[in-house]
Amino acid sequence: MARDSLPYVWVESDSAKWVAHCHRGACNVKHASVTQGKVEFICHKTENGATSTQVFLKGTLFFPCEPDRGLVRVHELTPEKAGQLIWVRARIHTSRAKGKQCFLVLRQQQFNVQALVAVGERASKQMVKFAANINKESIVDVEAVVKKVEQTIESCSQQDVELHIERIFVVSQAEPRLPLQLEDCVRPEGEGDEVRMRARALGPRTTTSQAIFRLQSGVCQLFRDTLTNKGFVEIQTPKIISAASEGGANVFTVSYFKTSAYLAQSPQLYKQMCICADFDKVFCVGPVFRAEDSNTHRHLTEFVGLDIELAFNYHYHEVIESITDTMVQIFKGLRDKFQTEIQTVGKQYPSEPFKFLEPTLRLEYSEGVAMLREAGVEMGDEEDLSTPNEKLLGRLVKEKYDTDFYVLDKYPLAVRPFYTMPDPNDKKYSNSYDMFMRGEEILSGAQRIHDAQLLTERAMHHNIDLEKIKSYIDSFRYGAPPHGGGGIGLERVCMLYLGLHNVRQTSMFPRDPKRLTP
Amino acid sequence: MSLKELSSLEKALGLKKPNKYSTQGDRKVPVLQTINGQALVGLVTIATHLVQEAKRPELLGGSAEHKAVVQQWLEYRVTKVDGCHKEDIKTILKDLNSYLEDKVYLAGNQFTLADTLMYYGIHHVIVDLAVQEKEKYMNMTRWFDHVQHYPSVRHHLPPVVVLRNRVYTSGHH
Repeated sequence: MARDSLPYVWVESDSAKWVAHCHRGACNVKHASVTQGKVEFICHKTENGATSTQVFLKGTLFFPCEPDRGLVRVHELTPEKAGQLIWVRARIHTSRAKGKQCFLVLRQQQFNVQALVAVGERASKQMVKFAANINKESIVDVEAVVKKVEQTIESCSQQDVELHIERIFVVSQAEPRLPLQLEDCVRPEGEGDEVRMRARALGPRTTTSQAIFRLQSGVCQLFRDTLTNKGFVEIQTPKIISAASEGGANVFTVSYFKTSAYLAQSPQLYKQMCICADFDKVFCVGPVFRAEDSNTHRHLTEFVGLDIELAFNYHYHEVIESITDTMVQIFKGLRDKFQTEIQTVGKQYPSEPFKFLEPTLRLEYSEGVAMLREAGVEMGDEEDLSTPNEKLLGRLVKEKYDTDFYVLDKYPLAVRPFYTMPDPNDKKYSNSYDMFMRGEEILSGAQRIHDAQLLTERAMHHNIDLEKIKSYIDSFRYGAPPHGGGGIGLERVCMLYLGLHNVRQTSMFPRDPKRLTP
Repeated sequence: MSLKELSSLEKALGLKKPNKYSTQGDRKVPVLQTINGQALVGLVTIATHLVQEAKRPELLGGSAEHKAVVQQWLEYRVTKVDGCHKEDIKTILKDLNSYLEDKVYLAGNQFTLADTLMYYGIHHVIVDLAVQEKEKYMNMTRWFDHVQHYPSVRHHLPPVVVLRNRVYTSGHH
């Protein structure tokens, strides 16, 4: 009978006798039967004079597992460990058999290392065949000697060492047919994006995805840490709300017992209520739901919003400074602590490193319009920036100031929401601002109107039904401090920082008008 | 369109008395009745006549080879550029761009009628190009900017803004 691929054990037949091999050494197999695809073995083992019998099925542990192995992480396999006999648990990334040898690449998250099983003292021909036949992506335990290599192994992250395998076991087997080939996932662009999206248990295994999502985790961490150090308090805001916060067109409706409710488009209202409740400086991290039927590279229907709101003392520029300083701390943190991840992503998706200035560049809206007009764009003073114009302005700013991150201050009042505080010195403009990364908008913010009377006037000017926002206006009737803030999208910030081109690449389980699973 | 060009050309050449033109056919080919009763038909024919009238023969080329190159570009203008489809525009811009990689003017080392008429011919395309496209056809844009600043060439046409510095570094989408 042909060699059977069993986890933990493989059998060889030597005419009449079956020999089962496992990590404890050879033992005698008394009886083997194949029933409905299950293979059973009864094993006798003599140890210290006593004979024990065990029946085990394909896949069961032979003996109770003792933690006799310290597993070494792949990224720790360096020339310093040369000559050591170590255990590694990793996935089979690729395997290639050549005669008496089998070359494997073992992968663990972003790191991989070359390994070799060769017929010799410690490995039989059957073992080499066994190793070559293990399905890709299976998780294996490997005992091997670390060997220094003369020629750098370019294709692996561990380039100076190679593992010479003495024992190999399958911990969890993968099905032979995978929904996608991981090498395809690491090819730049386009092909296979759809399949990759669907097989979300597999796609993020690639080194690039690992790097992207670790970096994203870092962004969240840095956001929280920076703000906490500045004295901000993290708040949680409800996502099921009774009234659409920013206009009824782009909300998801959910049935709420006998009535309907909506999924929050932004934590705006609640952030402001916390400021009125004297929390002074707050931030929140949570999902944001926008029912926009936009199928673009930068829109999702559900994304993670990082929102800030703070009361200021004398001028709303204090708010801008607080936000830009937070962004700069995030950029610095990413640059200093996540270089490995940035480089890994850069291998598959090359881009220019992200540049920013300290203090952050702040231009006035009218200056931006002037720059665009100089470049031949025709637009009105109070006209909103179209997306192509935003991108062009980003390029012009990059060329002139050498920065990928800047703030555009004092937007025209006409193009901002009703709760934006008008500019006291020029009624055409407002105390509002947008922030851009690589020419794309990442934050839209403003000083909010904190006076109930003025707020009512502005709402009426925008033809908003006052009944619908009564509770919002009421929050400002009992003494509200002047305040402002803004919010960024986690996925978009990561996408732009890394110079990627589709926000779905930075969303683990993206949601858009056409995608609801996984 | 050709009529406006011709009147601009007259001004550019310093001809004091404007001529009266008529057109013929669907494609509105310009016609000029000369004093001797001859009818000159076609943009290039009339333009050449005007140049000779203005006693500026150098605008048609110096040596025989130079003259041939000028004629070649005048023909290109009328046959390829005029009335071309949208899809062909890119090809024309690409052609011009690669041709002008190492040349300041279309023909030889001096300004000729070929430059003027080509400028008039593609202006309507260039005026609508985005900054990124203008940078893509760098050489063509450079030539265009040069011609549009040439004294007295640009009469009836609005100037096209050309940025001094490259805003899109190579490899940007």
